Amino acid sequence: MSGSQSDLDFCAREPIHVPGAIQPHGSLLVLDPAGLDVLWASANFKAITGRTPLELFPSVEAALRAWRASGAHAYRARLQNPEVDMAAHAHQGRAIVEFERSAPFLPNALLSRLTGFAQQMTATEELTDGLSATARLIADLTGFDRALVYRFDTDWNGHVVAEAGNGTLPSYLDLRFPAADIPAQARNLYTLNRIRLIPDANYTPVPLTAFGEECDAGAIDMTFTQLRSVSPVHLEYMRNMGTLSSMSISVMVDGKLWGLLSCHSRNAHHVTSDIREACDFVVQSLAMRISADSRAETAALGVELARVHTKLLAAMAQADRWDEGLAGTPGALLELTRADGAAVLSQNSYLPVGEAPEEHQVRSLVARLSQQDAATDSYITDSIVSEVPHDGGFNDGTCGVLALRISEVEDSWLVWFRQEVVKTVTWGGDPHKVVRESGRIHPRKSFEAWREMVRGRSAPWHPAEIAAARDLRASIVEIVLKKAEQLARLAADLQKSNRELEAFSYSISHDLRAPFRHIVGFSQLLTEREKNLGERSRHYLQMISDSALAAGDLVDDLLTFSHLGRAALSADKVDMNKLVAEVRRGLAEETAGRTIVWQVDDLPAATGDATLLRQVWYNLIDNAVKYTRLREEAHIEISAVLTDQGILYRIADNGVGFDMAYKSKLFGVFQRLQRSEDFEGTGIGLALIRRIVERHGGSVDAIGTVDEGACFTFSLPALPEE
Amino acid sequence: MPELRPILLVEDNPRDLELTLTALEKCQIANDIVVARDGAEALDFLYLSGSHAARDPGDPAVVLLDLKLPKVDGLEVLEKVKRDENLRHVPVVMLTSSREEQDLVKSYQLGVNAFVVKPVEFNQFFKAIQDLGVFWALLNEPPPKLRQVGGD
Repeated sequence: MSGSQSDLDFCAREPIHVPGAIQPHGSLLVLDPAGLDVLWASANFKAITGRTPLELFPSVEAALRAWRASGAHAYRARLQNPEVDMAAHAHQGRAIVEFERSAPFLPNALLSRLTGFAQQMTATEELTDGLSATARLIADLTGFDRALVYRFDTDWNGHVVAEAGNGTLPSYLDLRFPAADIPAQARNLYTLNRIRLIPDANYTPVPLTAFGEECDAGAIDMTFTQLRSVSPVHLEYMRNMGTLSSMSISVMVDGKLWGLLSCHSRNAHHVTSDIREACDFVVQSLAMRISADSRAETAALGVELARVHTKLLAAMAQADRWDEGLAGTPGALLELTRADGAAVLSQNSYLPVGEAPEEHQVRSLVARLSQQDAATDSYITDSIVSEVPHDGGFNDGTCGVLALRISEVEDSWLVWFRQEVVKTVTWGGDPHKVVRESGRIHPRKSFEAWREMVRGRSAPWHPAEIAAARDLRASIVEIVLKKAEQLARLAADLQKSNRELEAFSYSISHDLRAPFRHIVGFSQLLTEREKNLGERSRHYLQMISDSALAAGDLVDDLLTFSHLGRAALSADKVDMNKLVAEVRRGLAEETAGRTIVWQVDDLPAATGDATLLRQVWYNLIDNAVKYTRLREEAHIEISAVLTDQGILYRIADNGVGFDMAYKSKLFGVFQRLQRSEDFEGTGIGLALIRRIVERHGGSVDAIGTVDEGACFTFSLPALPEE
Repeated sequence: MPELRPILLVEDNPRDLELTLTALEKCQIANDIVVARDGAEALDFLYLSGSHAARDPGDPAVVLLDLKLPKVDGLEVLEKVKRDENLRHVPVVMLTSSREEQDLVKSYQLGVNAFVVKPVEFNQFFKAIQDLGVFWALLNEPPPKLRQVGGD
């Protein structure tokens, strides 16, 4: 359909509101701003009114004074001598006064018909009945051979939706006419001036005669005149259609041009001004009915959509994430805009629903939208192929797109899709056919019905659906904001309790260690001072000292453990062979005098915090040494393997092992599987290892058999590729 | 041989004080030990003000400074000493219960000469105190100019 706009757009060049001439069925005066001097008069003035402008002027003067006193923009009056109807309006600082021979007053019968029609318009259930009734009444009142109700679509193509006539002219019911048939500037005029009459397409235009100093009658803007001479192109069009007379009345619905009441006769046909007024009334009644219908429809749809909206809101409130809430309620999401598919996408997620195009296509669409204009927060079309570059459409039949940006920061979008609706349109002649004669486009001469398949277009998005989509966006933004606020509050609370925890552990590290030191110190001093203490007393003092020492160690371990949760990790390349060697040297005192067979493989390097990883090796090797203490010959093996997940380090010993039944307790804080008199320790070592390894993104594991040995493993992520 | 300058021990906890003094006693250091029980008193001694206004002039050989102190805490005393043109050469050893990294970092930033975490184990504690005393009071040579000032 996009191609059909070409042909007759050339009409748009013609400045039809300044023709400098009028039709012959009336006469016209242009007066200066003060309303005292005649600037122009139509050449047929005397033929219509029976007087010259100057002769008539005294009769007009009283009416003009009354008009000026009323302060209105336009004024109508019926003069008695001569008997003419006068219609005056002000435009661009001039007064334009039109005269037509008076018609008889409307008969009472006509008035009651109009009243009856108005009642029918409010009572009729179906709008189509109202449209037909309007066409019938207009044909009847005016005596034209045929009256059409012509409705514009969103692209200004016309569609004949009702018709009445006496059979003289062919039926155009259901035909469509391309937008170019009634060019934009003509539609503009129709919006401003509701009624136009051309009694005879073969008329000779009546020029205007200048009375004042300004001579160019073409400068007079005739937008609001009824007598305005029409464009020659239009007259040719009328002759092509086989109609010599026509009248059209604009159907204005809520300030917008909805359509036209278009009347034609094969021969010349005049309609008096009073009948034209009556027709205007009829059409206005129809317009009110259309307006009421569309409001009612929108309201009903609004109620329905509000119900769906509530459902989606509930789903979003229940879900962790709003997008999952929406995608998890596909029925309602599609119902909201009567779409075939939808997608919720952000930088790192794509949730399609129903018939949605592939992710990369949707992403390239929103990328294009974001590029076009940073302020773009919505994009609505029923024909994406006609709006985006050649390859920008979707290949799955999606034509309609309703895209709304939810968050600029996260670049998240909510997009609905509609599939192509292939429909057959019957045109009044091939809209794509261009007729050229001597370099100028001519109106079509063929009016045979022309069928066209309309492709690449979905059903249009209803304003109520678009409004519902926007409402949903507002709700989402509100929900997202609310969640963000909750998170911020939570983070603030956490920060506060973290600070408190830090202060707490700081105070422990200072104040709890000191008393243990004092106990150890003074019991030692006492032991040294009292040389004569009995064996038992010495033993008690030793117990006091040992307990305080153990408690001190416990405090130290606990503090190390709690620091690990918040200390920043460095991420350096760590030579594990070196770490293991250092740890073994550090344990020289413990291993002295023992037989330990070490088997240490070459270990791959890791990425992480060397100090903390040393702690891991220290605790593991210290454990292995400690728990093999009872073996005559201890075996400790250290090795590593590369896996898909990373590097797995392993240390096995032939020590006391552990019962796998208690494995779940192994890595817990304060969990010990050995009696403390057998093997000393605070029960934090393995918990510390787990915490360090997990903070490095790895995991720990262990297997063991009682009295045979244990094997501990920990994994670390592989080194990044160099 | 120059006159032995005193050791300034700043410690508020009476038990720690007793243990530290015992340890210093045992290593037979001849220097006088001056005890300050809080940061304010330590500053009085260093600046010859307040209760120490009438003391003999001269800087201490070393300041053994506890970190947590009433009134003016150890870090504040350290900062004041190290920012003072006339006092910055006096060695300050931070003696503390804490293994908190933040204290360690802050102390070194302020220019501490040594940072010692008091060991819980008695023998280690004694050894540490004795080593400190011997090193800073006996072995460490102050800058020449100051030796003159301190030594007359």
